[in-house]
Amino acid sequence: MARIQIGALRKTYPGAKTDTLHGIDLTIEDGEMAVLVGPSGCGKSTLLRMIAGLESVTSGDIRIGERVVNQLEPAERDIAMVFQNYALYPHMTVRGNLEYGLKNRRTPRAEIDARVTEAARVLEIEPFLDRKPQALSGGQRQRVAMGRAIVRKPQAFLFDEPLSNLDARLRGQMRVEIRRLQRRFATTSIYVTHDQLEAMTMADKLVVMNAGRIEQVGSPMDLFDAPRSLFMASFIGAPGMNLLPVDDLRGAGVDLGGLPGNTSVIGIRPEHLTTDTVGAGIVLDLTVEAVELVGSETLVHLGAAGLSAPLVLRRPGALSVAPGTPLRVALPAGHLHGFDGHGLRIGAASRQGQPQTAAMS
Amino acid sequence: MIENRRWLDFLTHAILILGVAIVAFPVWVALVASTHPAGTFATGHMPLLPGGAAWENYSTVLGSGMRGAGSEPLWRMLVNSAVMAVLITVGKIAISLTSAYAIVWFRFPLRVVCFWLIFITLMLPVEVRILPTFKVVADFGLLNSWVGLTLPLIASATATFLFRQFFMTVPEELVEAARIDGAGPMKFFRDILLPLSRTNIAALSVILFIYGWVQYLWPTLVTTDPKFYTIVMGIKRMVAVAEADPQWNFVMAAVVLAMLPPVLVVIFMQRLFVKGLIETEK
Repeated sequence: MARIQIGALRKTYPGAKTDTLHGIDLTIEDGEMAVLVGPSGCGKSTLLRMIAGLESVTSGDIRIGERVVNQLEPAERDIAMVFQNYALYPHMTVRGNLEYGLKNRRTPRAEIDARVTEAARVLEIEPFLDRKPQALSGGQRQRVAMGRAIVRKPQAFLFDEPLSNLDARLRGQMRVEIRRLQRRFATTSIYVTHDQLEAMTMADKLVVMNAGRIEQVGSPMDLFDAPRSLFMASFIGAPGMNLLPVDDLRGAGVDLGGLPGNTSVIGIRPEHLTTDTVGAGIVLDLTVEAVELVGSETLVHLGAAGLSAPLVLRRPGALSVAPGTPLRVALPAGHLHGFDGHGLRIGAASRQGQPQTAAMS
Repeated sequence: MIENRRWLDFLTHAILILGVAIVAFPVWVALVASTHPAGTFATGHMPLLPGGAAWENYSTVLGSGMRGAGSEPLWRMLVNSAVMAVLITVGKIAISLTSAYAIVWFRFPLRVVCFWLIFITLMLPVEVRILPTFKVVADFGLLNSWVGLTLPLIASATATFLFRQFFMTVPEELVEAARIDGAGPMKFFRDILLPLSRTNIAALSVILFIYGWVQYLWPTLVTTDPKFYTIVMGIKRMVAVAEADPQWNFVMAAVVLAMLPPVLVVIFMQRLFVKGLIETEK
């Protein structure tokens, strides 16, 4: 168990014009599950691979526990990694796969057997111990890959999009399972994903990256409630936050009430848009463009002349409206997010309905 | 295209049977000829059914060699051929596995140059570089030795390229997983790469064994000592006897014996051979 500290970490690939990572500072506490998420090419995998020792460090420090590990080989860093394509050794049995890392570390035989038995029991892969990976399904293979990490009892688990090859149902199960195992062993973990559902549900600490920088760090709900920037607002949440440029609204003659002077974009989550317009702050007259019935909820896409992108309204249950119907929606002041001309949030990051948003009404 | 017509079936089968007959007939003639006593061929008449002298012919060529040809007994040549073929096979596979490993996974100075040097050897088989190679081998005093017989044939790149292609299909994640599991370069090679290459090695062994077995030109050049004669050379020497008719019954017996080991290798390695050519076990 260990805390992982990353200081001013940069990565420049030889011959590349720009840095892949522009000075990352991040601390992951002992036993914490940190999820790195971001659009593809944001550097999240590079960061993970640098922590693992699979990529060299251009400058900066990586500490696992008390050690600076920059120059250490992956095997010396006392970490275990779970790969996207499992990376099981195809010619070895499941048992052989679990044992290999321990054997290379000259762990005593009895200890190896004890750890393999324990891991197999926890992961419920005992019946497959003598099979080859080829004879296993995707979910079982991923369990074996997890097992290979667990038996090592490392200082940290590193996950590189481990669930992206599984189907949606299995992914849901494995998500819960990985979280359960991580809590059980209380091992510091870093998990890279591009799936924000995984990111939101699994993280103690959510790290959103964009273009080689950390955009925002915090608990998933903090990031959801108080996105620091326009990028965060659109990235976290599915569908993302509705973003409305103030100039467009003014041009359309919408009464915006008392917004802070430097507000350039206002945002509201699809679930906070309401059709109850009595006494509400900002009211928009829109037209239904499309309706998506998901079963448990309904997504209504709303458009109007002068708006570049449609707004999305989310309602629990089914809502029967035909495309083309005019609809008047309100943006309750307590749920508004304001962003300035630089795309940054106005006012301190805080929970919804607190003074800074109240001031907007 | 699947067509179901009787006459077409008949025609295609007829063509296939004709093809098989053309290929198999000489083999049959050799088999038959090796079972007749020596006098049969002097009449200018070629029997098509087996005769009764099989035991006598085979035991003569195997045991005592042929009189007049000044040659060693055939068993000795068979052993020589086998040793040579096995040495070439093992040598080529060992060299090409390691060189392919280096080229695919190691970053060293002049890596690209090395790659092209190996590549160029593809264009220079023994037959092309035979004079300089002979000179080198002779100057090193390697005439009439196993080293001289096999080393020049080992040094070529075909197998290196096959292994290189295979290694490049090994997923990067597997290499990284092994690194994290604490497997250094040698351990990775031994524990992961060799077992994964098993079927490829088997398939190549078959090809290389036969390549080594049928060598004629090079052994003829570098061996003057009958102790090192190979079976393919032996057959040639049996035919080219001075001042006498070739003893066809013995020659054919030698031919059949020479064919046997490659056939056996192919038969017994067939399953692995096919697997190695088609399978990707990852």
